Amino acid sequence: MRNRKTKLWIYLFLLPAIIIFLVFFLVPIITIFITSFTKWDGFNSPIFVGFKNFINLFGKAEFLISLKNLLYWSLIAAFLHVGYGAIVAFILYRKPFGWRFTRSVFMIPNVIAVAAWAMIYRFFFNNDFGFLNNLIRIFNPEFNIPWFYNSPYAFWAVTLTWLFYSVFVTLVILTDLMAIPDEIHEAARIDGASALRITFKIDLPMIKNAIGTGIILSITSRIAMFEAIALTTRGGPGDDTMNIPLILVSSITDMKYGVANAASVIMIILGILTLIIVELIFKMRKVEKF
Amino acid sequence: MNLIKKILSKVFIYTVMLFTVTVSLFPIIWVVSSSFKTNGQILTQPFGLPTALDFSPYVKVFTQYNFTVYTLNSLFIAVVATLFALMIYALAAYVLAKFNFKGKSLFFILFTLTLLVPGHTKAQPIFSLILNLNLYDTRLALILVYLSNGMALSIFILKAAYQTVPKEMSEAALIDGASFWQIFSRIHVPLVKSGLVTAGILMFLGNWNEYFYAMLLTSSKATRTLPLALGFFTETFSYNYTEMFAALTIVIIPSIIIYTLAQEQIQKSVASSGVKG
Repeated sequence: MRNRKTKLWIYLFLLPAIIIFLVFFLVPIITIFITSFTKWDGFNSPIFVGFKNFINLFGKAEFLISLKNLLYWSLIAAFLHVGYGAIVAFILYRKPFGWRFTRSVFMIPNVIAVAAWAMIYRFFFNNDFGFLNNLIRIFNPEFNIPWFYNSPYAFWAVTLTWLFYSVFVTLVILTDLMAIPDEIHEAARIDGASALRITFKIDLPMIKNAIGTGIILSITSRIAMFEAIALTTRGGPGDDTMNIPLILVSSITDMKYGVANAASVIMIILGILTLIIVELIFKMRKVEKF
Repeated sequence: MNLIKKILSKVFIYTVMLFTVTVSLFPIIWVVSSSFKTNGQILTQPFGLPTALDFSPYVKVFTQYNFTVYTLNSLFIAVVATLFALMIYALAAYVLAKFNFKGKSLFFILFTLTLLVPGHTKAQPIFSLILNLNLYDTRLALILVYLSNGMALSIFILKAAYQTVPKEMSEAALIDGASFWQIFSRIHVPLVKSGLVTAGILMFLGNWNEYFYAMLLTSSKATRTLPLALGFFTETFSYNYTEMFAALTIVIIPSIIIYTLAQEQIQKSVASSGVKG
């Protein structure tokens, strides 16, 4: 009797979360996958069209440029963005003067709205009142470049809005670094290993998982990058800074729901591919967390 | 030789740290200080500090540009969504942490998998759902969508918090004749307060900062949130730079204040889960 009552309570406690899961995750995801194979405007019933939406996407310049941008952005994210985050983590790990302050401040760009950060950069790089161009004009009064509106600068201006802000990578790596037992370092030092050697031979292999996690997180953030583009370049000039979420939104606005969901499916597949590839490269599964 | 090496490494360390602090903080300081300059000063003295602390641009932004409405919208939506989400996930995490039942691991895996689906990808189904519910351009639409935002993260944080509560406490209460609900509400909830606060802060920040779904699901000024107002800056302020900078400051300062007050919790949960708030 008591047991049956408890069971009832358990499922009652789970019910609201299950409803949210169904309404906002399961049903939308199933809808995306099914309707990506249909022509659908939201009013009339979807018509099955096979892979046509995908073929159309791959025939569009804006989509191909998005893929190219995503490839560049992913490489920049994996090497420079994560690399910078890792360097900061290794520095903070040695606890130099001001390390706590640096860690705290580094987080700030990530706690304010992405949209606001994009706006800050747009102002900072503004040709008339932006700080950057005014600084350059001290040395070269003739200087005039609207960074977000000219090719090829726009791509790099958008890249700069996130390039150095890898505090998540830093925090994840720092946690793993701090978990390395001191004895291992001491033993290595007694054996005469240099600080650099300890970093490369002991620390780096031990934080492999953290670096892998950092790369996955930063690449999937690039796949979903919307605000930093929508509030600065809107994908322009031309399609220079196009990304898949912008195509997704414009397809919804044009009531091409099938195309929109094909774009979503591609985003999900790219995310899963990233996960698999990075886990394979880093052999993340095989390393036990200590 | 060793000394040179030591100096070089110190120089490298402090260069990177100084650079990190500068790129993180300077753009914000520049925005805030520009909001206290006149239009002329912004254009002609980009490096000068403001000459006076004049708050009239802020008053103007709130009174003449509808920012009072945007701020109240943001606050209302973020608070209500956070409170309801907290209740829902506090219940779910409790049974996931404390009981064995059929489908337990399946539910936990499903709830955690939500983390892997980029929020933007569900745009069309959610857009259509809100249209069909006749909720387009309402605050309720955003509240509903934001309920789902912190699912995996909150369940992680809260489950870990419940697991620190010793089993003996519920057993003792059970012997005393306490009901399922009483054991939850009187014994566990007070003991996981800090977990609730952490999850709440992270969800609030996420909701307060959200732009994508606010853009997709609302259109009028009456329902506009602060981050969304950023998208209309150029048309709103045209050439009133001072007010534009003041408006931007209004959007970013609350997040920074909340973060400053709760940075320990935020950093810890980010580091352990590697997840954005």
